[in-house]
Amino acid sequence: MSTSTPRKAMPSALTFDLHRKCSTTKARASTLHLPHGSVPLPIFMPVATQASLKGLTYDQLRQTGCMLCLNNTYHLGLKPGQAVLDEVGGAHKLQGWDRNILTDSGGFQMVSLLKLAKVTEEGVRFLSPHDGTPMLLTPEHSISLQNSIGSDIIMQLDDVIATTSPDHARIHEAMERSIRWLDRCIEAHENPETQNLFCIIQGGLDLDLRKKCCEEMVARDTPGIAIGGLSGGEAKEEFCKVVDTCTGLLPEYKPRYVMGVGYPEDLVVGIALGADMFDCVWPTRTARFGNAIVSSGNLNLRHASFAHDFRPVEEGCPCVTCRPKEEGGLGITRAYIHHLAAKETAGAHLLTVHNVHYTLSIMGKAREAILQGRFPAFLKDFFTKMYGEKAKIPSWIVGALRGVGVDLLEN
Amino acid sequence: MGSDNTEDSPNEMFKFSLLGSAAAVLAPRLGRLAIAGRKPISTPHYVPLTSRGMVPHLAHDVMRDSTAIGSLFMEKEQSAKKSSIPIPLYAVPTKPHESALRKFTCLPDDILLILGARREPPIPCAPSNTPSSIAILTSVGFAQLSATQYAEATQKLSPDIVVGLSDLTIGQTPGIKRRAKMVDRTHAFTTHGTEALLGPDLSEHSRSNAAYFAPILPLENTEQQIYLEDLETDLRPFISGLALYEPASLSIVPEELGDLPRLLFSGPTTPHDILREVSLGADLLTLPFISLASDTGVAFKFVFPAPTNEGTQHSSEPLPLADDLWSTSYTTDTAPLDKSCSCYTCQNHHRAYIHHLLSAKEMLAWTLLQIHNHHVMDQFFAAIRESIERGTFKSDTQRFYKTYASEFPQATGEGPRLRGYKLPTSGPSQPRRYPPAYGKLELAAEKYAETTQADSSVATPDTGADGLEEHGFAEKVRISEK
Repeated sequence: MSTSTPRKAMPSALTFDLHRKCSTTKARASTLHLPHGSVPLPIFMPVATQASLKGLTYDQLRQTGCMLCLNNTYHLGLKPGQAVLDEVGGAHKLQGWDRNILTDSGGFQMVSLLKLAKVTEEGVRFLSPHDGTPMLLTPEHSISLQNSIGSDIIMQLDDVIATTSPDHARIHEAMERSIRWLDRCIEAHENPETQNLFCIIQGGLDLDLRKKCCEEMVARDTPGIAIGGLSGGEAKEEFCKVVDTCTGLLPEYKPRYVMGVGYPEDLVVGIALGADMFDCVWPTRTARFGNAIVSSGNLNLRHASFAHDFRPVEEGCPCVTCRPKEEGGLGITRAYIHHLAAKETAGAHLLTVHNVHYTLSIMGKAREAILQGRFPAFLKDFFTKMYGEKAKIPSWIVGALRGVGVDLLEN
Repeated sequence: MGSDNTEDSPNEMFKFSLLGSAAAVLAPRLGRLAIAGRKPISTPHYVPLTSRGMVPHLAHDVMRDSTAIGSLFMEKEQSAKKSSIPIPLYAVPTKPHESALRKFTCLPDDILLILGARREPPIPCAPSNTPSSIAILTSVGFAQLSATQYAEATQKLSPDIVVGLSDLTIGQTPGIKRRAKMVDRTHAFTTHGTEALLGPDLSEHSRSNAAYFAPILPLENTEQQIYLEDLETDLRPFISGLALYEPASLSIVPEELGDLPRLLFSGPTTPHDILREVSLGADLLTLPFISLASDTGVAFKFVFPAPTNEGTQHSSEPLPLADDLWSTSYTTDTAPLDKSCSCYTCQNHHRAYIHHLLSAKEMLAWTLLQIHNHHVMDQFFAAIRESIERGTFKSDTQRFYKTYASEFPQATGEGPRLRGYKLPTSGPSQPRRYPPAYGKLELAAEKYAETTQADSSVATPDTGADGLEEHGFAEKVRISEK
């Protein structure tokens, strides 16, 4: 690998306004101006895997406040396929969504399919999880597909392996290969004026590898930077260390995206460690299983105890589902969701609206707190509410926040 | 005869007025159903069907913001549970005169709610009805719903309209003895139901707010003569409408009951059937085929009156009633389902997207199709009413029959996964409705290896990048079951 080879200039289709940094933690409040509108950061991005957010109409999604959602390159490559995307004119036109879209590279599928995937310098071959069809994904391929999709943010193809892999040599190789593939992605990228290519920092849980990767990738000057390969089952302490190490090495004036994170506690810790963007299928997936995300944790509304619970999903929540009818909402009760859960598709839609809105509102509240200079107080309040009392806050959260100057346990 | 026939209505909240001339038998008629606090309904119209309190695939905000739905039919059987568990539906804290049904299902105040015992169309039950109860299929299996339970449920749930219990044979033609039983039982159910809910002995407080729609059985009028006579006389003060189970019943409605609204549960399968029923004097119809079409990816595209084919070619080829969006001809079609349609779906999305959503099994496909299909049906009924008012209904109907195909196109795609209690009970070893979506990955890979050995034109995992690129990003190969 060489950093001295002349590289294609890297134009950017975004501007990043950093408004305020928390004086204690590494948290930042900023605004990301993308081709399809401005996105307040920090942000959670719900995942509309196959160009649809799990049954919600795009009006419903707009009402949750979402400005940026994900599509999955791998799935759109299968259906409707690149030819259709080209003919229709990209994913925005396909799904009728006039706000921003981010697409992943398809590389994440490798983590789950590693048993059947073969990674070579050329790319990844794997068998389709649907029917066993062999598929090849090269960096050029991935970028070409994402160019056809026309997403506002596109991701490089990276060599993803599970963070829990014991094979250190393989992790090292994957990190170095990800850098080489980044170069190929930059080379293949045809629309840098309208689509922002983000690099993805790899290196497993080895902080030295992560540092090296940061250094190399920052030098490539992509419009934004992602921290990848996490949320693969590693210990939370390790996750925090990696995010903390990487954000410490990344330039201040670029958005930082931690991939695959969506539990409320992880999101808030991630913000404190200096990350700006997160995505995860969990809030929408868990809604389809009848789980509601609320300030005190999660409620499994399929449980019989909710059959007679005529309170809203979350008291005082301003989402359309929870808001009372008198205030223009629907006034949906837990008992009614219990009645619908896992039986009617629209029951899942109602809960998905709540979960997406709730997750986005956590980010909005964190942003407000950062802007008003009271983020440490927000952290204490958030985690005390979530776990009921200080003593119950998991040690990894306490440890991670101590590392950035906030002691949740102090009075 | 006046245009307002509500003087002897048992319920002052409930008003059904026929517009225009007297209530002619076997002729299309215009009416207006007004219930205090609800959106008035101009008839003929349809009543959307629900499952667990919602129109399938339409979340409450979508229904409110993107459809014109003003009334809903709900059934009792899906909220029934095993007797040991208290039914949550009954436990909703309600203020006096507040409907527990409405409160439980979180529906807005202005939606008119009609309660029936069984879903429409009903699924045949293995157990049979008894003199005091009918067999129902709950989400936890078969059960009996007694006349007393049903009256209690109506009291507690307080719908706007309740459809009285009837002894029907579903899925089979009753014999002569059974028919006599049907009449006797239904007669008893109606007598019991009206008495328990609206009887003169009840105090003002315990009298139900629900308007009682008495069933008329799908039998000859001679067979239910005694029952019909009782409806005309002794029971007449308590009933606000009639529930009919086949279009032929429209011809046996006694003249004395002619001014009552007629709600049909006849399961029409095409717009042609609807026109026929309206021409016989139907006021409110239930249309199971709307949700069925949306589920199978079918988008309606018929208008009433049918377009005149001036200037176009010969009228020999009938127009299709709908498009099957599963068809691959829509893969890149960026036109809306219907260019002239003003529904949310047509204003915001195109056929290529709906085709994609269907083939990707995304729930939004069904939502968008439900919005469109309900909208088309709203337009259809509005046009029927205008046509009756103009006095051109008969000729408009004739032209519609001539212009459009007599059936919907055969659905080709798969719909959403259906629950057991939504399906007719099947015999042993009935094949799966749909093939399983996923299998064991290793198994699939093995099978794939076998097929590729036989067919060398398919790329194998060992081919080079160029070889794979030739076959596209991921050409899907069907591996058939077994």
